[in-house]
Amino acid sequence: MKKRTIIAQKRREAYGFILPAFLYVLLVMGYPLVYNVILSFKNVDVKNLTKGGSVFVGFQNYIDLFADPTFRLVLKNTFVFTIACLVFQFTIGFAFAMFFYQKFKLAGPIRGMILVSYMMPMAVTGLLGKNIFSNAGLINNLLLKIGIVGPEWLVDTGTAMIAVIVMNCWVGIPFNMLLLISGLTSIPSEVYESASIDGANWGQRFLHITLPMMKGSIFSVLMLGFIYTFRAFDLMYIMTSGGPLNSTDVLGTYSYLLSFTQYQFSKGAAVAMVLFVCLFAVGLFYLRLLIKEDD
Amino acid sequence: MKLKKLLALSLVAVMGMSIVACGSSATESAAPAEDNGAAAEAPAKEEAASGDVTEVELWHYFDASADAKAIVDWVDEYNSLQNDIHITATYVSREELMNQYTIGALSGELPDIGMVDSPDMASYISLGVFEDITSQLNEWGELDKFYPGPLSSCMDADGNLYGLPQNSNCLALACNMDLLKAAGYDHMPESLDEFKEMVAATTNPADDVYGYAMCAVSTEEGTFQLLPWLRSKENGKGVNVDDLTADSAVNGLTVLGDFVKNGYMSKEAVNWTQADAWNAFAAGKAAMVECGTWHLAQTDAIAGFDYDFCLLPTGDKGTSTSTIGGENFGICSGAENLDACVDFLTWLCSKEKEGEWAVTAGKIPTRSDSVANYDYEQDGFAVFVDEMNYAQARGPHAEWPRISEAVYTACQSVFVDGTDPKDALTKAMETIKPIVDANPLPET
Repeated sequence: MKKRTIIAQKRREAYGFILPAFLYVLLVMGYPLVYNVILSFKNVDVKNLTKGGSVFVGFQNYIDLFADPTFRLVLKNTFVFTIACLVFQFTIGFAFAMFFYQKFKLAGPIRGMILVSYMMPMAVTGLLGKNIFSNAGLINNLLLKIGIVGPEWLVDTGTAMIAVIVMNCWVGIPFNMLLLISGLTSIPSEVYESASIDGANWGQRFLHITLPMMKGSIFSVLMLGFIYTFRAFDLMYIMTSGGPLNSTDVLGTYSYLLSFTQYQFSKGAAVAMVLFVCLFAVGLFYLRLLIKEDD
Repeated sequence: MKLKKLLALSLVAVMGMSIVACGSSATESAAPAEDNGAAAEAPAKEEAASGDVTEVELWHYFDASADAKAIVDWVDEYNSLQNDIHITATYVSREELMNQYTIGALSGELPDIGMVDSPDMASYISLGVFEDITSQLNEWGELDKFYPGPLSSCMDADGNLYGLPQNSNCLALACNMDLLKAAGYDHMPESLDEFKEMVAATTNPADDVYGYAMCAVSTEEGTFQLLPWLRSKENGKGVNVDDLTADSAVNGLTVLGDFVKNGYMSKEAVNWTQADAWNAFAAGKAAMVECGTWHLAQTDAIAGFDYDFCLLPTGDKGTSTSTIGGENFGICSGAENLDACVDFLTWLCSKEKEGEWAVTAGKIPTRSDSVANYDYEQDGFAVFVDEMNYAQARGPHAEWPRISEAVYTACQSVFVDGTDPKDALTKAMETIKPIVDANPLPET
């Protein structure tokens, strides 16, 4: 009997410790999330935000959005941007990680210098991109030196996305490299040594030791990369404002445009919900992987 | 394992932020920086605040050197003229200020007096950002001195007033006379047909010189510069934005689209702000440019060539169209010191101050009784003052931003993708028609 009360008391104490964190999550994340969900099912706009009179319209905002070719383009852009960025920043980041993991002179300082682009605020990266890819910018100047007239990067709907992807990779590569290097350090060097003694060459060691032992880190990097990239906003906002003709608009910028430029608050909220649901699905998948691995 | 936990934690944080960010990106960076000029006055301010003084907070986005300094000087002058009211002027970037109004509509965190671009005012009135001050302004008794166009942008659909127009401007054409002369012209264009000829003749790809430059960026700035061509007068007829499939509008856009197609105008116009277009002209890289009244205060940037200004040649000979621009000041909802705010506002928009501001900042007064004694570019100002007779307002309409987006998107699709102008404008009307059917635009 006495034992039970002690356990119950300890449990109460434990809840007490969780409470602040729980309240924090509830207030800081739960409230805006619920507010946003409700907003996305109403018809709040410039006419009724403060004057009242908004009503629930069910899924009408979502139906309108998916019927709108602009939104479908924005959704496509978001996936194209995310997947292209992931592919390039992961492969290049992995190559850099392998290279700078080697112990050679200056490996540390150079690794540090590569991180500079990651530490730079996205707004600065966006401004840099704007200059580098303008018609008479750095890239076209270099191309001209070898006799090629470069495209109008930020003016053509076909090339603007490429420019934005390049700038994002510039930031994403060091991020991938950093996380993958910490994954590499977790592989004991003895494993490589014994493999070398058994006659395994570089390729075999990479395929059969590095990759399998890095599985956890690789998944983490890809998942985090997906989430970071999918919710992109500042780069496009500064570099292209989503243009030309929505060709670099992603869910984040489009939601902002609807809410803060056009005052279609409920439509903007619905776009934010689509963004959230996509990320939530990826997040759940990632958490399941983590739990499975722990088991 | 530690790394994994760290990753899981950051995942949770990022997930949460992705949704919160959409709603609150504006609030995070909202701390407005005070004007350098105003900050320097800090000790004087403290002294003033210690007495029995009414404090009034004013937010503005004047960032050109002339008007950014002027607003600080004006506020100082007002503060020194009396001892009851103390105004603090704070600079907030335009975009940030607009976000603050939208958020403030719900949270109530607004300055006492706020500056707003005239076409945006109707939306903020609808959002409840500004206070109805019709009775106070009627009491003042000088409302009949204001030009009706700028004043209407401070009104709601019922004619109630929420602020005063502080400055006004419009668009005209600046010409590089040296380039025109070299192409065989001794005068500026007087009609659309002549303009088309001159643009073609002055384009010189070998020297990277375009015949014409303008701003067609995907913001209100782009719509501002595009509208004169869509509302042009052809065979004596012109239309407003509720009838953009009319021949005159399609013709106006076709002309601009052909400029891009033929290389007479840079496609980069879709990314250019008005400042970018003006810089191209000032550097001698464009023979003609669509420019605003405020550019008259920036002619010192022009690189050693002969220049002149004329009415925008958007249609038939002897006609012109232009867009009215300008800034209004409104008193924000919940301002505790309404009378003090009205007192400052009526001083700022008084007969004398309107005239002085126009000269200092390169604008046009919003009052018919104000005299602006421009001591520079007098001929240029004469052109812009004349152009005001042909200039049209944008809206006022609470959903103007949506109309505006439809307009610049249609034009950009012609410039960037080579869409047929008629098709592009038909598509724009699909957005605009339901909006104006529900709430028609005011008669022009």
